[in-house]
Amino acid sequence: MVGVKGWFRIRGVSLQSLAFSLQRLTGIILLIYLVAHLSYLTSIRLGEEVYTAFISLTVRPETLPLDSLLFLVIFYHAFNGLRVVLNEFGILYEYRRALLYILAALAVICWLWSTYVMYIYVMG
Amino acid sequence: MAMHTRSVLDPFGWILQMITGFLLLGFVLFHLYITHLSSHEALSYEQVVLRLSDPTIRAFYWIFLVAVAFHAFNGLRAILLDTDFGGKNARAVNAITILLFLAATAYGGLLLIAF
Amino acid sequence: MEEVIFNIRRFNGINSYWQRFKVPVKRGMTLLEGLYYIKENLDGSLAFRASCRMGICGSCAVRVNGKPMLACETQILNLKAKKLDIEPLDNMRVLKDLIVDFDDFFKKHEAVKPYLIRDDVFYSKPVELLQTPKELKEYYNFTLCIKCGSCYSMCPAASTRGDYLGPATITAAYRFCADSRDKGKNERLEAVSGTNGVWRCHFAAECSEVCPKKIEPAKAVQKMRKSAAGYMIKKIFR
Repeated sequence: MVGVKGWFRIRGVSLQSLAFSLQRLTGIILLIYLVAHLSYLTSIRLGEEVYTAFISLTVRPETLPLDSLLFLVIFYHAFNGLRVVLNEFGILYEYRRALLYILAALAVICWLWSTYVMYIYVMG
Repeated sequence: MAMHTRSVLDPFGWILQMITGFLLLGFVLFHLYITHLSSHEALSYEQVVLRLSDPTIRAFYWIFLVAVAFHAFNGLRAILLDTDFGGKNARAVNAITILLFLAATAYGGLLLIAF
Repeated sequence: MEEVIFNIRRFNGINSYWQRFKVPVKRGMTLLEGLYYIKENLDGSLAFRASCRMGICGSCAVRVNGKPMLACETQILNLKAKKLDIEPLDNMRVLKDLIVDFDDFFKKHEAVKPYLIRDDVFYSKPVELLQTPKELKEYYNFTLCIKCGSCYSMCPAASTRGDYLGPATITAAYRFCADSRDKGKNERLEAVSGTNGVWRCHFAAECSEVCPKKIEPAKAVQKMRKSAAGYMIKKIFR
C-alpha cells in the first residue's frame, strides 16, 4: 500500500488520473480557504476600522498573484467537478478525454479573464 | 466486520454532493463576480453593509453557506473515509464532519441574523 | 542487436534494491522474454510470475516506468526507452521481486459472489438458460477480465484503503448483476454498498486506461454505484 502518495501519482499515469489528483488537491486547498474565509467574515462584526484594515491588507497589488491562483483553483475544481458528475452518470463516457480538454480549457479561459479584470481594478 | 458498515449517508452524501456542486457552480461564480469583478468599490465597508442590509440577500447568503459547508465537509468525509484510519473509525468521521457542518451553518446563520 | 537496460526492483524478504541488467533485444521480443533471458543467463534468482505467455492467464502483470502492463503482451522496442524501470504491482504486498500477494484480491472477489445465482436449480432436471445476443452484449465486455490486478495497482482509493474492493471486484459483481440469467443482484449490491465498496471510487478512471483487455472497469463501477444508491435508498422505505 502506497499511502497518500497514491492520490498524487505522476509517473505512468494518464490525464484522467492527473485530473483526479488536481481535483483532490484543489478540494483540500478550498476547504482550508473556506474555513479562513468564514473566520474573516467575523471581522465585519468588529467594526469598520477592523474590516477596512483587513481588506487593505488582503486586497492589494502584492496579493494579486495569490488571488489569481485562488481563482484558478476555484475554476478548475468547479469545471472538473462538472466533468466528474457527467462521467459518474456515464454521460459522454466514450468522449471522456475530449471532455477533459474542453472543461480544462474553459477553466483556464475563465481564469485568464478574471485575472485580467482584477488586475485592472487593483492597479487602477 | 466493523469496517464494512453500510451507511445511508453514503448514497445521500453522493447525491447531495452533486446537487450542492451544481448549486455552488452558480453561487460561487456569482459571488466572485459581485465581489471582485463587478466594480472597483465592491469590497468597501459601505458596499458590504449595503448588500447585507437586505434580508433577501442575507437569506440567499445563508443558503449559499449551507451548500458550501455541506459540499466541503462531505468532501472531507469522503477523503477521510478513503484512508484505513478513517475506515476503522467511520462513525467518528461521520460524527465529526456532520458536527463541523452544523457548526459552520449555525455560526454563519447567527452572524447573518445579528448583522 | 540493440541493448536495453532492465532496471528491476528486487526484494529478498528483507531488503528492497534496484538491480540493472543489460538485455539484448530483437524486434518482436516481449518483456516476458526479456525477463526469461535474465533468469536463464544473468541471474537465476529473479522471481516473477508467468504462465500462458499469450495474455489470457493474467499472471505476468508488472509495472514498467510506473505503468502496469502484461509482460507477455508488451514488446520491448514498442516502449521506446533505453532503460526500463520494472517494479511489481502497487497496492499489494510484495512477496519476492516481481511477485505480489494476490490473496486479498481473490478474497474480495469471493465476497461479491462472482457466480450465477438462481432459485430454481434442479440438478435432476437441468434446464437450458436462454439468452438473446442483445442480452449478452449488455455484459459481455466485462466477462473478459483475467484478474491481472493492473487496475487495482493504479487505483488511488486502493492505495490508502486496504479493504477497498477495487475495480476488478466491482466489475465482476456488475458482470453478474447485468447477466439476464442471474437472480442474485440484491446479494451483490449488499456486498458492494459498504464504505469499502463503490463509495470509495472518485472516478480517477486510471483503471480503464491500464486494463490490458480494455474492459472499462470505471464504467462498471459507476453503474454499480447508481444501482447501489437506488438499492440503499429504497431499503429505507421498506
